[in-house]
Order: sequence, then structure tokens, then C-alpha cells
Amino acid sequence: MAEVLAPRAGFVLRRPGLALAALVLLLVLAWALVPDLFTHYDPLSGVPREKLHGPSAAHLFGTDETGRDVFARVVHGAALSLRAAVSAVLIALVAGSVLGLVAGARGGWLDAVLMRVMDVLLAVPPILLSLALVTGLGFGTTKVAIAVGVANVANFARLMRAEVLRVRAGVYVEAARAGGVRWFDVLTRHILPNAAGPVLVLGVLTFGTAVLEISALSFLGYGAAPPTPEWGSLVAGGRSYLASAWWMTTLPGLVIAAVVLSANRISRALEGERA
Amino acid sequence: MSTIWNPCREKRSHFSVTIVRFRAIALFLSIAAGSLLVACSSGATTADAGPPRAGGTLTLAIGSNPDCLDPQQASTNASLNVGRQLVDSLTDQDPATGEITPWLARSWESNADSTSFTFHLRPGATFADGTPVDAAAVKTSFDGIKALGPKALLGSGYLAAYRSATVVDPQTVRFDFSSPSAQFLQASSTMSLGVLAPAAYRKTPDQRCQGDGLIGSGPFVFSSFKQNSEVVISKRKGYDWGSSLWKHPGEAYLDSVDYKIVPEPGVRTGSLLSGQLTATTEVQPVDEAQFQGNGFSEQTRPNPGIVFNLHANVTKGVLADEQVRQAVSKAVNRQEVVDTVLSPNYKPATSILASTTPFYTDLSGPLAFDPAGAARLLDADGWAPGPDGIRVKNGQRLSAAVVFSPVFNQNQSVLELIQQQLRKIGFDLRIDLRTTAETQQLQQAGNYEFIWYNVTRADPDILRNIFSTKAGNRSLLQPGNPLDTQLDQQAASIDPAVRKPAAEQAQRLIVEHAYAIPVFELRQVVALGPDAHAVGFEASSRLQLFDTWVSGS
Amino acid sequence: MTSYVLRRVAQALVVLWAAFTLSFVILYLLPGDAVLAKLGGGEASATVTPEQIAQARAEYGLNDPWPVQYGKRLLAALHGDFGRSIATGDTATHMVLSALPPTLAIAGLGLVLAIVFGGGAALAGTYTRAKWLANLLLSLPPLGISLPVFWVGLVLIQIFSFQLRVLPALGNQGPQSLILPAITLALPTGAVIGQVLAKSLRTQLAEPYIETVWAKGAGRGRVHFGHALRNAAIPVLTMIGVVAGQLLAGSVVTETVFSRDGVGRVTTAAVNGQDIPVVQAVIVLAAFFFVVINLAVDLVYPLLDPRVRQNPAARTRKELVHG
Repeated sequence: MAEVLAPRAGFVLRRPGLALAALVLLLVLAWALVPDLFTHYDPLSGVPREKLHGPSAAHLFGTDETGRDVFARVVHGAALSLRAAVSAVLIALVAGSVLGLVAGARGGWLDAVLMRVMDVLLAVPPILLSLALVTGLGFGTTKVAIAVGVANVANFARLMRAEVLRVRAGVYVEAARAGGVRWFDVLTRHILPNAAGPVLVLGVLTFGTAVLEISALSFLGYGAAPPTPEWGSLVAGGRSYLASAWWMTTLPGLVIAAVVLSANRISRALEGERA
Repeated sequence: MSTIWNPCREKRSHFSVTIVRFRAIALFLSIAAGSLLVACSSGATTADAGPPRAGGTLTLAIGSNPDCLDPQQASTNASLNVGRQLVDSLTDQDPATGEITPWLARSWESNADSTSFTFHLRPGATFADGTPVDAAAVKTSFDGIKALGPKALLGSGYLAAYRSATVVDPQTVRFDFSSPSAQFLQASSTMSLGVLAPAAYRKTPDQRCQGDGLIGSGPFVFSSFKQNSEVVISKRKGYDWGSSLWKHPGEAYLDSVDYKIVPEPGVRTGSLLSGQLTATTEVQPVDEAQFQGNGFSEQTRPNPGIVFNLHANVTKGVLADEQVRQAVSKAVNRQEVVDTVLSPNYKPATSILASTTPFYTDLSGPLAFDPAGAARLLDADGWAPGPDGIRVKNGQRLSAAVVFSPVFNQNQSVLELIQQQLRKIGFDLRIDLRTTAETQQLQQAGNYEFIWYNVTRADPDILRNIFSTKAGNRSLLQPGNPLDTQLDQQAASIDPAVRKPAAEQAQRLIVEHAYAIPVFELRQVVALGPDAHAVGFEASSRLQLFDTWVSGS
Repeated sequence: MTSYVLRRVAQALVVLWAAFTLSFVILYLLPGDAVLAKLGGGEASATVTPEQIAQARAEYGLNDPWPVQYGKRLLAALHGDFGRSIATGDTATHMVLSALPPTLAIAGLGLVLAIVFGGGAALAGTYTRAKWLANLLLSLPPLGISLPVFWVGLVLIQIFSFQLRVLPALGNQGPQSLILPAITLALPTGAVIGQVLAKSLRTQLAEPYIETVWAKGAGRGRVHFGHALRNAAIPVLTMIGVVAGQLLAGSVVTETVFSRDGVGRVTTAAVNGQDIPVVQAVIVLAAFFFVVINLAVDLVYPLLDPRVRQNPAARTRKELVHG
């Protein structure tokens, strides 16, 4: 992403919203990589005497029911939350692209069958699909990520197939094929580079929805294995304390919203770039 | 914070201690003293409580959808808290003393080996459809429970050895069992063996679950059930055959009870505080402080039966080593668990049985927090600290997984804290969250190291259900061990002189060999708004709403 | 045209059958089954014996080999019978159908609010000449999409029920109990509508025919609402299937937060209990709505868009390529 945006510093600077979005994602990435730079509290064990304190200078986001610093848990949870969302996107992207590629390239009955399967996946709302999958796979962040990833496969498959069909119809591909270029080379030289853009846009967009879907599944009771501070389970866990400790849900919830908003903003910018 | 003096709260801290001493002196004798304790555990607590008034509706939140309302089939708290109000039982059990007292039956007797029980019914009781509660109806009902088979989730266990019921005369019914069933007397006081009218059995079990044909003789009758939304029950007009333990004769005070099904704990609390409910069950420990004062109050009672515990499978991994299990037991700081994750209402476990269970014995000595002792045990046993702080012996890490499913909201926090505590002695506890179906499957297959659970039952026979090699055998012990002998003995007689020593010895064996590591006693916490009074608990800590009343409009 | 409709209906039936099969496969492959979930859920879990489990399984037909179970279920489902819920004993069809009205109530009001919020933001955002206002209004839909639904619900409860005490936090009673859940549902849905409408409005306003309309001396309002909106609304209409799915998905979370009865609550409970009959009924219902709505949109579309009127199949192809 950096190389896409770097030569266009001016472009970014003229869009403060976009700059802010990039900043948010960079900050969260930094949390994931070097959490200790941002907080000196232990995210796993707290001081029981200081439980359920509201936000203050000492505890930016307050403390939770066992006296752990909520901000520390958000910062340390970044790594796992990002990994979960990114794996969900990767699963959807890779599996979806391969299926779409095969369907579009082969055509015929295989295309018809694959696309009907994708229709079914689209017909069942993703949350229902994830719900059923996650009950089967069991609890835990990786499994939730797989469930969310699978539920999003169909979007990528359809997009990739459409790109393949579009590129295939292109004059230059026909020319290449006629010139005796092998199918594999057509794929790597023409189809993939052309499809990369739209797939990337959808990928960034799906990253946002994946964060939301993972947090929704955590809310419904299929979260990260304890005591890991994953964002979705942080908001979900805090809701038991809604009446007495609003900060436990509200503040991590705002962090999630900021990350999703930033991902969407960047996705739109990338799309605009292409258009 | 609050200046309102709350007499019951003051006394509550002494409650369990008083009970212990009391039991030691005379378990089954003093009803008078017992009723004093009842007043403290379940009496009205609000300072402005006037004389009870009849009428009004109690709007009460429960935490989950009661899938089945039929108390003979149900097994969840949400269902039983509704079902208890609809049916009467042959007997009742005094929550304070554990004593079995008259209800539909005025008196009863059993033979020497507890295989035959005869109940003499009181005259005059009728079902909601007007038919009399006589020996024939009781027989139909018990045969009906037996016929439910595994659908009677709790009753099928109570009636495992049930052979037949015989109508001796219109007011006398006799039950025969194929093996000694001392627990049946206590079981006859539960709602699971509550009596339904013969007409009920003309409906299918599935219909009764939805309230159709759910005809009992209880102080309330079923009105309506909207799945995931609410259950409404209303007062039975002309009811006059209440349990001998209840505080007033005649009909219930409340006109109706509206159970609202509210799964979000924060919403339950907030809705009570903002006046959208008159009371709520399943209050989160963290929210309890909000109901102390300001006209709000709490009613609490520990669940009898087996406390929340890490039940060890002695055939698996490091848990086959008794010293390891004992070290784990010493390293669990039960007081810290209660102080940090739960609330002062909860008590650290002092036996495998909760302090409200009949024949409970105090084993707080062997269960004392002793990390140094735990370390000594492990050192002597050859477990040396490894590179990551976890002990190792012959290349094996000192590590075990605990399987649990999310039934009680605080389970995860409790296990996380125990995980931190055990890490300090070099024991790695892995927390393995599973669905209820999966947990059940692992349990049936014996495929677990620790399993985390509790069971509510106001009778020590629950130990036999769980530990006997002829029953659940969750520790996977060898048949013929000393524990089996004690468990069989307590099952064979209703005579306290026989049951008490056997039950106490069984608890001691379990704790000393650390077959299971008790942690804390589950507690029912009900919060009442300013208008709700005298929400009571029966002996199994399910709601008893007969004496409950509401003030104001 | 007739053969086109027939082909679409046949495709729709295949999708329904596949949804039925998919839900069976997922739930069948899960570790454990509904009997274990039911017995393991309450106090009975401690005392239940293997014999009881075996007996219960036999009673619910869970001991049959999977092709037999699948065949029986499929045959019954063809007659609209999905079997009885193992958890509640009620028929799955009755459970889902009786949960439908409360869900339709919040989804319906949610849809209206979503159109008002989303449509309003998009129209006002593209109409206004104040740049800052346009920026503000057009940034609302992306914001709406980014908020976790359950979090919005909890915050609304916190403010309107617990602090201001003007609206109930729970229950199905009375129209006022609809307001907060419907707003919660409307936010993400309205955001989607707003985003799509704003984008297509901008595209339409840049089209050459708008120049012609201006040239004819039409006012700003007429250009905007009379011409651009009419054409810009078509892409939004085609999204109605997606929107319906989103409303249903949102109801899963919203109904839990607001303690309401509805399809969402029935679904989570059934999935947790591995109650195959109920889950299948819900999934087939969801797929049914999706299929019917899309079919309807496809059939209505030619009437709205003259370019497609000649050849309905052309649109389908276009959809596959660009959708």
C-alpha cells in the first residue's frame, strides 16, 4: 500500500480524512508490533484493588473487573485482532480468487456449478453462515477468522470471475492467445495484474467488515480463548458491566469503529485511484 | 455509601457459620430456630416493608429462554424458576435445615432398606382443572415421569430404580424401588417430581413444554408463553394447601408474575435501576453494589450440591499423580477468586458440597491456601522448574487443560484468575472453552483432564451420581475403592445417623485425594426494586414466589 | 420471456435445495448433537447416563445413518415440515413463523428509517452547495457502516433507556419498544443505501443528458430530484436483496441486545443447541427471501430501465460482470 501512496504525498495531503485514516491504521499497526512503547501496564494481570476505575490520566480507558488497564488490553489486543481480520481477508481472498479464476477460465459446467455454490453462499446472510461454521469449528480467534473468511469467499470469487471474463474478452488477450502464448502466461501477464486492483480494493473493504463480523461473533459468545485481549471479546466482555462501567464497552468500541472507518476510507481512495 | 440500615445484610455474613454449628448440634430437630434462619436468607429486606398486601404483578427478569416450562422435563434454572410455581410436591424441604416437611403429603414412612415409601395425602387439594389430587392422580403423575424416559432430564435420575406406584387407598400411595433409594425422599420435594393432573398426560410431552396441558395444583397457573420474550403465570384462585414452610395460608399474594426473558446482564441491571422491572434474577457480581441501598435490595442463597470445581480425571496426564492434584488444590487461592471476580455474597468452597447441602462438612483446613506447601509437594515429587517457569519432570510439562462451557457468566474470569494463581507454582492450566454439546461429549467419553462445572441438588446423594464407579464416575476411579463404599452406604438409609457419617467421610476422601478441587459456591442473587418484597428461595435455591408481594401501584 | 422466468425459478429452487443441504452438512458434521446440547445445558448434565443419551438419540432419529436422516428431512421439508425442535419440542416451522412478525416489524421500520437516513444524507449531500456540509453529510454513511451493530444498540440503551429513561430497553410490547431496535438496524442499512445512492447520483449528474435538462431551463431541484434521482434509484433498487439480508443478519444481534423475540434469537439459540430442524428452517427461509426478492427485482428491472427492457438476459450478464 505504501508504494501506491508514497509518490502522491500531495494527493494525500489535500485529503485530510485520508491522511487521518492512514495515520490510524499505522498507529494500530504499531500497537500490534511494539505494544510496550504505548503502555507500561500488563494486559493480562491487573491490580484487583483498582478494579472498575473510570478513565483517568493513569488509566486512559479505565480499568476492568479484575483491575486490568483497558487501554493496555486494547493496545496488546491489536496484534491478535489484526491477525484475525487479516487472516479472514486472506482466506476469503485466496480461496475466492482461485475459485473465481478457475470458474472464469474453464467456463462450462464447472463455472455453472461453482457459481451456483457461490449463489448459495450469498443467499445465506454471512452472519448465519459464520455462526453455523464457528459452532462447528469451535471457539477461538483463528476459528472465528476462518468462519468469517469462508463467509466472504463468494464476493471475491464473483469479482475475480468477472475480471477474468472482462480481460479474456479484451482484444490484447485474444491476440496473445492467437499468437500462441500459453494460458498460464496469459494468466500471469494479463489477467492477474488487471485483477489485482479491484481485488485489493475489495480486500481492504473486507478487512473492515471482517473486524466488525469478528467482533459480532465475539459478542454472540464465540470469542478468543481467555485471557487474550482480542478487541471483539473486549467489547463483548465489557457489556456485562454496561450499567456500572460504560468505558469497558464504549472505548474499545470506538477503536474498532475508527479502524473500520479508516479501512473503508482507504478502500474508497484506492477505488477512486483506479477509476 | 448508603445510610439505610439493612438488617438482613448485617446478618448475612454470619449465616453460613450459624448453619454449620446448628447442623452439628441437631440437624433435623429445631424448626423454630430454622425459620429464623429462613427469615434471614429469604425474608423481606427493604427497610420500608410494611404488612404484605395482596394483588399486583411482579415483573421479573430471567437470563435465558426457558425452552421447556414443564418442571418434570426441564433442567435449567430459567425453566425451574417458572415451573416451581405451577406444581406442588409431595413434600417440601426446609432451606435452613434440610429437613423434609409436609406439603401434599401430611406424613410418610419408608421400609428399613429404603426401597419402599408410603405417602399419606392431605385431603382437599385440587388441580387447576378441578380434579382432586388423590392417590390415583399421584400414581398417574409418577408413572408419567417414568414414561418420559430421558426427557425427564432430572426426574429420570431420581426415579432410576423406580419400579411401581400402588394406590393403597384414595389418600395413600406407595412407591417401590428395585434398589435402596434414600435420596427419593428429598427428590419428592423437588419440582422435577411435582404432581401434574391426569389430564396433562393426554397431551404430548412437547405440548406440555409449551404450557399446553401443563395443569398442576400449585399456587399459580400458566397463562402464556412467548418464546424468547416472556412467560406469564397468574394466581390460582382458592388455593389453600400450601407447604408447611410457607409464611401465610391461603392464596399467593401476587395476582400474576411476568417473567421477562432478558439475556443481556447489563440490560437486566439497567432496566431494574430505571424502573422497567420490579426484580431480576442472575445479577452480575459487579452490579451487586448498585442494589445496596437506594430502596433496592438483594436476596441471595448459595446453591446446594456440588460446588464449582476442577474435577480431575485421574487417568490422564499429570493428574494421575495424586501429589500434583493436591498441589493444585493448595495453590488455588479461593478467597482471592471470590474477592476479585465475584462479590462478598459468594463464599469460597469449604468442601466438595456447598454449605447449604444437608450433611455438608467443613473441610476448610485441608482446603486452605498454601502455595509454599504446594511447592514443597511438587519439589519432593521431582517436578523441577523449567525454562519458562513451568515445572518439568522426565521431559513432561506440568500442564493440564480444563474443559468448560459458558453456563455461568463469570466462569471465564474465574478460570483466568486460577490460571494466574497456578502459574505461580509452575503449573500451566490451559483453558479450553467448548460448546455445551461438546463438553457433554468429552465428558461421556472420559476425554478430558480437568472439567469445570457445578451441580445443584439439596441431597448428598449427588456425590454418588458424580463419583461412584457405578454411576457418573467422573474421576474415572477403579471400582471397589473406599469412596464407593461410603457412597453406597449414604444411599441405603434415610436415617441421619447412618447417612451423616458416610456422607461426611465421602467428602473427606474426595478432598484429601483431590479427585476434584472445589473452588467456590455458586449463589443465586436476585435484586429487588423498591416495590418488591420477600422473594424467597426453596431448598434447591430456586425461586419460591408464594410469599412474595409488591407494594405501590 | 416465459422461458427466462422458468429458468430463473429453476435456478432459485436449486439455490434453496443447496441451502438446505449446506445447513444439514455443517450441522451434521459438528462435534456433538442436539441431544448432547440439550442434556448438557442444564443441571442434568451431571447425572445423565450413556443409556439415556442413546435412548434420546433413538427417539429423535439421530441414530440413523446420515443419508437416511437427510432423505427423511428433505422429503418432509418438501411438504413444508422441517421437523420438531429438539430443544423446545415445538415444530420448527411454527417456531420460525411465529418469530417472523416481530422481526418483520423492526426490519420494516428499520428499512423505512434506513431509506430516510441514507437517502436523506445522499440527496442533501449531493444537493447542497456548501462544501463543508456536503463533506459532513457524505461522510455519515461510511461512519454508519463502521460501527459495530451491537455496540450501537448498547450505547442507545445506555443513553435513552438508562439515562434519559424515555424508551424501553427490552421487550416486544408497544410501538415504543420498536424504536431503539429499528434505529440500531437502520444505521448500517441506511449507510449502505446512502453510499450507493450518493455514488450513483454523482454518476448521473455527470451524464450528458443532465446537460440537456439544464439547457431546457429546468431548476436545480427539478434536475436533481426529477431526473437524476429517478435514474440513480435503480442501482439502489437492485441492492434490495443485499439490504434484506443485512436486516436479517442485523436482527440476530439486535434482538439479543434488546431482549426481543424474533428470527434472530431463534437462530442463535438453535445454532447453539445444534437444533438442526430449526436452523434448517431459518436458513431455507433466509434463502427463500433472498431468492424471491432477487427474482422480483430481476423481473421488475426491465420495466424501470428501458435499456434492459428489450433483452432481460442482457442485464443478468451485465450483473455478473459488474456486480
